[in-house]
Amino acid sequence: MDIFIQQVFNGLTIGSVYSLVALGLTLVYGILHIPNFAHGALYMLGAYITLTMMLLWGIHYWIAMAVSVLVVGLLGVLMDRLVFHPLRNAPPIHDKIAAIGILLFLEAFAQLIWGADYRTMETPYGQVVNLFGMTATTQRVLINIGAVVVMILLYLFLKKTYAGSTIIAMAQNREGASLVGINTSRVAMLTFMLSGGLAAVAASLSAPINLVFPGMGHLVILKAFVIIILGGMGSVPGAILGGYILGFTESLGATYISNDYKDIIAFLMLVIILSIKPKGLFSREGF
Amino acid sequence: MKMIKGSAVFLLAVLLLLLAGCIDNPSNQSTSGGSSETESEAPEVEEGEEVVSIGYSGPLSGPAAYYGERTLNGLKLAVDEINNNGGFEIEDQTYKFNLVSLDDKYLPNETAANAKRLLQENDTPVIFSPHSGGIKAMQVFNEQENFLIGAYTSEPAVTAEGNTLTVRVPPSYDGYLEPFTSYAMENHGMKLAALPTSSQYGKDWTEAIVPYWEEQGGEVVYNSSIDFSKDTDFFTLVTNALKENPDVLFIGGPSEPTAKVAKQARELGFEGGFMIMDQAKLDEMEAVTGSYESLEGSVGVLPLANSEYPGTPAFIEKYKEEHNEVPGSEAGYHYVAMNILMEAMKAAGSVDDPKAIRDHIQDGLDALPEEKEVYTIEEIGEDGGFATDLSIAAVENGEIVTIEVND
Repeated sequence: MDIFIQQVFNGLTIGSVYSLVALGLTLVYGILHIPNFAHGALYMLGAYITLTMMLLWGIHYWIAMAVSVLVVGLLGVLMDRLVFHPLRNAPPIHDKIAAIGILLFLEAFAQLIWGADYRTMETPYGQVVNLFGMTATTQRVLINIGAVVVMILLYLFLKKTYAGSTIIAMAQNREGASLVGINTSRVAMLTFMLSGGLAAVAASLSAPINLVFPGMGHLVILKAFVIIILGGMGSVPGAILGGYILGFTESLGATYISNDYKDIIAFLMLVIILSIKPKGLFSREGF
Repeated sequence: MKMIKGSAVFLLAVLLLLLAGCIDNPSNQSTSGGSSETESEAPEVEEGEEVVSIGYSGPLSGPAAYYGERTLNGLKLAVDEINNNGGFEIEDQTYKFNLVSLDDKYLPNETAANAKRLLQENDTPVIFSPHSGGIKAMQVFNEQENFLIGAYTSEPAVTAEGNTLTVRVPPSYDGYLEPFTSYAMENHGMKLAALPTSSQYGKDWTEAIVPYWEEQGGEVVYNSSIDFSKDTDFFTLVTNALKENPDVLFIGGPSEPTAKVAKQARELGFEGGFMIMDQAKLDEMEAVTGSYESLEGSVGVLPLANSEYPGTPAFIEKYKEEHNEVPGSEAGYHYVAMNILMEAMKAAGSVDDPKAIRDHIQDGLDALPEEKEVYTIEEIGEDGGFATDLSIAAVENGEIVTIEVND
């Protein structure tokens, strides 16, 4: 029983990180129909910027994270302005190629500046805590709480604010939104800003339990794509649910079936869900 | 609009550069970063001097880039030193080295392609590679195409198949089975949980240690692997490995993620010892865990910084000056291998006949001056493997202690 509770918690932790990354990816897809392969690179930069702030200027973890959210968010906007916006009338394949190009560029860029070595992010939250017969560190508890808080904030933003409504409007119908006077380029920038910010939060929260290195984006990006396909391309609840589903399959599958087959289990889930609901758990109308 | 865009790019570039500056990471300051695809530093050649190109193909980008850079640094240091001392002479002809490095991203097929390119463009008699997959890929054609492989891997299979033009630099991991097992059994207990890296090397290592452990009367309670290029978090795996209350945890892979595995095992309440594969180094792991405390009771290979070979202190000093960090065994072995190669070329009287060079490696070992002995290598085996005394260490009371190995 102890093992079960422990593994549920582990699945929750890893699922939180996956969900946050997938949310950023799904937002951009929902609005612009771009599979942003460079999202993993934004995740990596988010971790590096937080780490740099903490080590170079000794800034507190949370403030460093806030700066990182801002910087990576702006970087997302810049990506839209410089690359995706000029390509808005090009065939869809151009966006995909451009996204891969950005990914390669940002990764090489990070290696040039920060070097290829593994770095550790030390936070003030390394203490071990025992809760209900399971072991965790404060950082892990923070990942779980942080992810839920960010998700609630995102929900409130999308549903309760004017800016959020414009995003939803554009996701539902691009021409319609344009006709009622919504500035679609502004909404695109806003979406990229949110997407970059979410990647930075996810990276800053999870970096202390792993390492920071130029290739760290690869750990999550492929899984994030699986999640948004599973949850329905462009769906926000789908990304959240999909993230947790994948997290639980990994932890419980590794425990009760086999660790060596845990990826197979996850992909088997994908196949089953897609054969029952070919458009994913939530089709895009459920935004 | 153009101007706004332009200034935005500029501002961002400035910001990022400012940010980057340098992260003050006291133990780990990397000075070399970028990896252009081909890097060739042609030496200054005076009249009458000739240049010998030495090839290198290893991971210079991607997750293993740090490892690749450190191996290359060892070669570079040796080459620069030889060239700055005026090169070397064979029959009144002075030669200098030109190191040509290519990135293979840790992929065997890329290593093979790089090797072909090095042969065609630079006519390299020797090509170094620091991973068993790439080495095996080159072994398919190295005898036909006539070049010597400088193999940096502890995988015994690369020398087991009788390739006549392969030199294995570090000792093979076969030798660690006995001392690791006896130390762990004596100090901790008989229950082993294996949680190695999922690379081919990690799997082979595990396949060697598991039967040996059982032969010695031990019990293997868990056996699985971690894919460091796919798993974001190791808690799940470590929880499962600890379920059966093992006394010893067998871990390994690149030092830094391996250290994270050890740390997370401690967080989950593991109190036994670690048995650490030779790829991970205790001192590099300590940089991640913060102290040796969480590695207490570990047994692994002796870090270069704690070794006492005649040439070690001078090498560490030089490396620190150049790269501002303490070198690991990758750099050390490459440095000594390059020097041995030069001595072997001298003894062979040829810089471009791989067969003759291979035949004179033993003379090269004998001729190596003591101050270059970062590792003392007595002889080269029939199969092409260097015979080095195994150096094994354990962490006891928060300090590294050397363990004597009985032959």
